[in-house]
Amino acid sequence: MKTLRTLLVASAALVGGATMALGADKTEISVARFFGACDADYGKVTDVSKADGECGIITAMINKFNADSPTTHVKVDIVEWPGYDQLTARIRSGEPPTISVMHESVISDYQSRGLLEPLDDGLKAVGVDTSDFTAAAKEGVTKDGKIYALPFDTHTWLWHINVNLFKKAGLVDGSGAPILPKSAAELLTQAKQFKEKTGKPYFIMVLANETAAYTRTFDTLLYQQGANFFADPTKVNFTSPEAKTALTLLKTLYDNGDTTKNEDYAATVTGFAAGEGGVMINGTWLVDNYIGESKKSGVALSDGYAVVPFPQLYANPKVWADGHSWVILKANLSDAQRKSAYEFLKFLWDNDFQWARTGHLPTSQKVITSAAFLDLPFRKALAPLSQNGTALPAGVKRQFGVQDIEGEEVGAGMRGDKDIDTALASAQDRINKLLANAK
Amino acid sequence: MAQGQRFVGRSVGDRVILGCVILLAVVWLTPIAWVVILSFKSNSELMMTTGSAFRLPYTLKNYSDVLATSGVFHWFLNSVIVASGVTIATLILASLAGYGFARTQFPFRNTIFILVLLGLAIPEQAVIIARHQMFTDWKMHNTYTALILPGLSNAFGVFLMTQYFRSIPRDIDEAAMLDNASRFKVFWRVLLPLTIPAQATLGIFTFLGAWNDYLWPLISATKPEMFTLTIGIASTQTNFAQSEGLGFLMAQAVFAGLPVLIVYLFFQRYIVQAVAGAAIR
Repeated sequence: MKTLRTLLVASAALVGGATMALGADKTEISVARFFGACDADYGKVTDVSKADGECGIITAMINKFNADSPTTHVKVDIVEWPGYDQLTARIRSGEPPTISVMHESVISDYQSRGLLEPLDDGLKAVGVDTSDFTAAAKEGVTKDGKIYALPFDTHTWLWHINVNLFKKAGLVDGSGAPILPKSAAELLTQAKQFKEKTGKPYFIMVLANETAAYTRTFDTLLYQQGANFFADPTKVNFTSPEAKTALTLLKTLYDNGDTTKNEDYAATVTGFAAGEGGVMINGTWLVDNYIGESKKSGVALSDGYAVVPFPQLYANPKVWADGHSWVILKANLSDAQRKSAYEFLKFLWDNDFQWARTGHLPTSQKVITSAAFLDLPFRKALAPLSQNGTALPAGVKRQFGVQDIEGEEVGAGMRGDKDIDTALASAQDRINKLLANAK
Repeated sequence: MAQGQRFVGRSVGDRVILGCVILLAVVWLTPIAWVVILSFKSNSELMMTTGSAFRLPYTLKNYSDVLATSGVFHWFLNSVIVASGVTIATLILASLAGYGFARTQFPFRNTIFILVLLGLAIPEQAVIIARHQMFTDWKMHNTYTALILPGLSNAFGVFLMTQYFRSIPRDIDEAAMLDNASRFKVFWRVLLPLTIPAQATLGIFTFLGAWNDYLWPLISATKPEMFTLTIGIASTQTNFAQSEGLGFLMAQAVFAGLPVLIVYLFFQRYIVQAVAGAAIR
């Protein structure tokens, strides 16, 4: 009996030791990300297909990676969105994470200061085919001819449509699909008709407490007119006729009462669900939420939701776009850590489809043309955005700052706080001052 | 009945003031009540309408999600350590400095006091980059020391304690000294107990300030194991928490605010005393 007990203890010690040794063999890398924490629902989920939403899917993905990888353990550092103050502080204090999520519009700020590793060779070595990147993704992560991030998604600007109200307004075709305007004039005519027939504004727009929405819509109208407002990445030009046309259209919609007013982000999201207007201009990230709402009975969107890319009102079908991507911060990484970092990036790339279930567009051409993706609701209509999604030129620095200033001034012009020429001149002047100081 | 009579017996002016106070209390409490109510509603329901706030069903899921977040109790402990550390050290330093300025003579006393007061006019944001650089050079980020030390330069505390010591009649010191008490004994045994209301006020304000501090912990405590509760909880928010995770967001606010509420409940008598006393003086 005593011998048996000794054997059992020895075996347990051996197994425990072996397990510890196995754990110790894994190389740990830190990954900083936003998207929130959802441990309660997904803390132990490793089947990614069973996860939903940004937080759920990324949590399950990393759980799966940690469970499957024999060599690497990812330690997750979750930060509040967008997390760049914290990231900069970590870099400055010499303790950067190995990998960080980063908006493509922000990459220039870090790349120009030599804080990011170029990834071309590393991605190639682990089998990530960079020629498979979509056009929007490739443009977003390429700086000075080198790839500085693994693109994870393209998110862009859509029209979320209340088809029930469109029907009431007589703005659906024979198949029940919403009729979309093909020009600014048509848009104004439709908006007038919509208001007369439904008593509600055509648009639900985020016009309070947020600048980004103004910028995204304004940029889209500029791109569609072919305006090259950042011909020189260090100077913006908003004195063009195209800029005046775009802001005049927005102001006309506002003055005509064709949009809700004074609503912040949250108010527009609930307002659209409550049927306060026909079209909510917002991003890819809301698609799944409204699909879910449209499946309920007795609500404003019951069997009456559609989503399309921002319609082409001018010569080009281009639409504002940005993307989430993953960067490796320059640090004294060991060979094992670098190898683990690329192993993780490859894993993320291989799971691009799973991430696309959030509503964002995939960055792999193979995924975006796959039946699995196109079979998801509305994705056939949205897929062209991987080509038409347009970001500011890679050389433009401080893009978040530019977005804020532009949004403030466009908002002031749209609401009539400033006349259009003054607002545009002010935006140009303030942005150029910002960029003059950007290093 | 007695209370009703007491109200009836009041003058018109008193009733108007009472009415205004009640109105202000309602205005003050309404957003808090709104936060608490929303914290018991599901995120998906609130995303579609907050009009459902006063209708069933209610849920505790948001609170269970907060408690299930890995690290939340560790962040709570970090906040307790940091806020307590800052508070205790501030009380010690501010009391000693206040006594020094109020009761002792030394060269350039008034000049130094003015310099300390100038600290009240310098916002944290103006010095934060230099401070971050300094702690980087000392390799002290992601430590409790880095989170506590900056909170100790508390100009308001020194000013408050100096004024409070000045308000205590010097006769008391002199009587104790006539009984052969040393200067430290006078400070420790005689004067310090008389400053308890001011200490309580300073302690509460310091604790709350340290508990709610966001900017410095955000850039100094960058590793999740060193997050304070404010940073940790903010990190758990989804990207569009104000619409997609509103109930969770409100539960987080209630959870983070509870310790502050408890501190107020325990020490409100001292706060009222000290604020009223400071106003009279």
